[in-house]
Amino acid sequence: MIKFGPGNLRIPRFQRPVYVVAGGMTDFRKRYPEKNTCELCTEALRMAVEENDLKVSPEEFRRSVNWCVYSQFADHFGDQLLAAAKVHDYLGFDPLGNIEVKTGGATGGSAVLAAAQAVASGYASCVPVVGWERMDEVSTKVGNAYIASAACKDFESELGWMYASYYALMAQRYQFENEVPRETLAKIACKNHGYARFSPYSQNPGDYTVEDILKNDIVSDPLSFLECCVMSVGAAVIILADEETAFKMTSNPVQLKAICGGTHTLRTADRRHMPILLLPNETEATYKDYFNGKRNEWPGFSSFLAARMAAYLAYNMAGIKDPVADFDLLETHDAFTISDIQTYEDIGLRPYGRGREFIDSGDAYFEGRLPTNLSGGLIGTMHSVGATGIFQLAELLWQLQGKWEKFHADPERWARYGKTKPKDFRNLQVPNAKRACAISHAGTGSHVTVAIMERASR
Amino acid sequence: MTVELNGTTAEIVSDEPLVIKNLKNWHHTHSYGGWGRFFKGLREGKLLATRCVNPVCREKRLWLPPRCDCPDCWSRMEWTPAPTIGEIFTHSTVQYPGALFRADPPCPLISVSIDGVCTKLMSYLKDGTPRIGMPVRAVFNTKKPTNTILDLAWVPR
Repeated sequence: MIKFGPGNLRIPRFQRPVYVVAGGMTDFRKRYPEKNTCELCTEALRMAVEENDLKVSPEEFRRSVNWCVYSQFADHFGDQLLAAAKVHDYLGFDPLGNIEVKTGGATGGSAVLAAAQAVASGYASCVPVVGWERMDEVSTKVGNAYIASAACKDFESELGWMYASYYALMAQRYQFENEVPRETLAKIACKNHGYARFSPYSQNPGDYTVEDILKNDIVSDPLSFLECCVMSVGAAVIILADEETAFKMTSNPVQLKAICGGTHTLRTADRRHMPILLLPNETEATYKDYFNGKRNEWPGFSSFLAARMAAYLAYNMAGIKDPVADFDLLETHDAFTISDIQTYEDIGLRPYGRGREFIDSGDAYFEGRLPTNLSGGLIGTMHSVGATGIFQLAELLWQLQGKWEKFHADPERWARYGKTKPKDFRNLQVPNAKRACAISHAGTGSHVTVAIMERASR
Repeated sequence: MTVELNGTTAEIVSDEPLVIKNLKNWHHTHSYGGWGRFFKGLREGKLLATRCVNPVCREKRLWLPPRCDCPDCWSRMEWTPAPTIGEIFTHSTVQYPGALFRADPPCPLISVSIDGVCTKLMSYLKDGTPRIGMPVRAVFNTKKPTNTILDLAWVPR
């Protein structure tokens, strides 16, 4: 059992405010031999610098940068150690300092956390965060084995060499404990494939019914292929800055109010039970009747302590009292439908055991109380791992700036990626969005970051 | 001085864009270190766990997978046989495993809860159809061991 000491739950503080001024990305593809990794990163940075209505020229921007953070999950996928040095050099940022961050699927979130720490502490004033993953040098089957080497290779990886199975184990237990209908999980996949149809960047858009998802081939029961994230190639960039630099560069920066991290054991097996860490919108009474014959422990296999820990810190840091009411938008790390529903509970959208209500109530949809993964998420749009947490924040930045249409609706942007804008295109700009949250997540919940962004004015 | 190439060539996958095959034909030597005792135990039909011996440490239960050092107090642990019966805590049958998997799918993966053990060991069900709560007992691949975690499996009891 984890017993917190007084220092363990200290709420983080930024010494000075941190802003997001621009975002950029490539489109995401299963295979992308047309462009090498350096070119993809440059394309995402170029978009951030040139297409975000910055008040400074690309040259002035270059002369403002004083620290860089790079985000790549897996050296063995890219088959290039020190890839960050190669990208940094290619982007022309030498001899500025840089750091490369790695925390599995949460690499993007952790990279932004590292960049935010640099800005908040005064170490830096303008920091590009550049993330990518090159997952197309190997076959899908080898790719799955590579990903499964982010499980414990001594005691777990050999059991299937398949990450979907490790989530499927959680899914079976979650369904047993909570009696969530199979259809509810499938609805998450329908939603995210569906929103991906309105993103020119998306890799796996589709107009699916619940029946389509349930009839789809099973990877590891109960999870079907369409309920699993895509394996992607692509890059994403956001640019963080201090207040002075942010307002010099853009008239509508977004403030990064909080970004916090939590962890839990790499092996799901090793998660000992403990009392539930309560969020600001929960009390002891919330869980008076939580434990019953089927469920007698927390976090068990049904909950992510790492996500709860990160949400606890970030909500307290940003003054969030009720996430569904306080956020206008959410991006979750929907690696699998099951992890999405678990996350709803971990971050307090519903109490533990009731995550299904967030989907079934309609809250999670566009025009619902908290539209979630309008980007298409990892299931519909991309999981180019090192880019993922950065991609989420770029999408939220544009939503908070009221620029979603600029970056999604222009037929020329679709043409840029060799695509045609769908005839039934839907505008997914959330009107007057003020505050948004993004979850970056690794392993079977080994690392999670929770980021909170808010529209800024001065 | 003249440098001659050794004649090997990178196979071309596509010419536009130019894509080549980089071959990797070597192995890693991996040491289990202190955990070797667990894997050698499987060869001998034993399920070995560890327990913290620090009298002031709060965690008195067994660890399986074993840890040589206690995560709660960093004391060294002692080795002890674990019960070889348990219950299926959860399961999933993998249909499409990754490239390195040594068994033919479908393969029912299971997590096993064992009395007195603070963890839920991941393994697989060698016979039968898994269900949550199913009583199971450990079986060991002692005849032709893989020297991996696959040498431990479970069957219904």
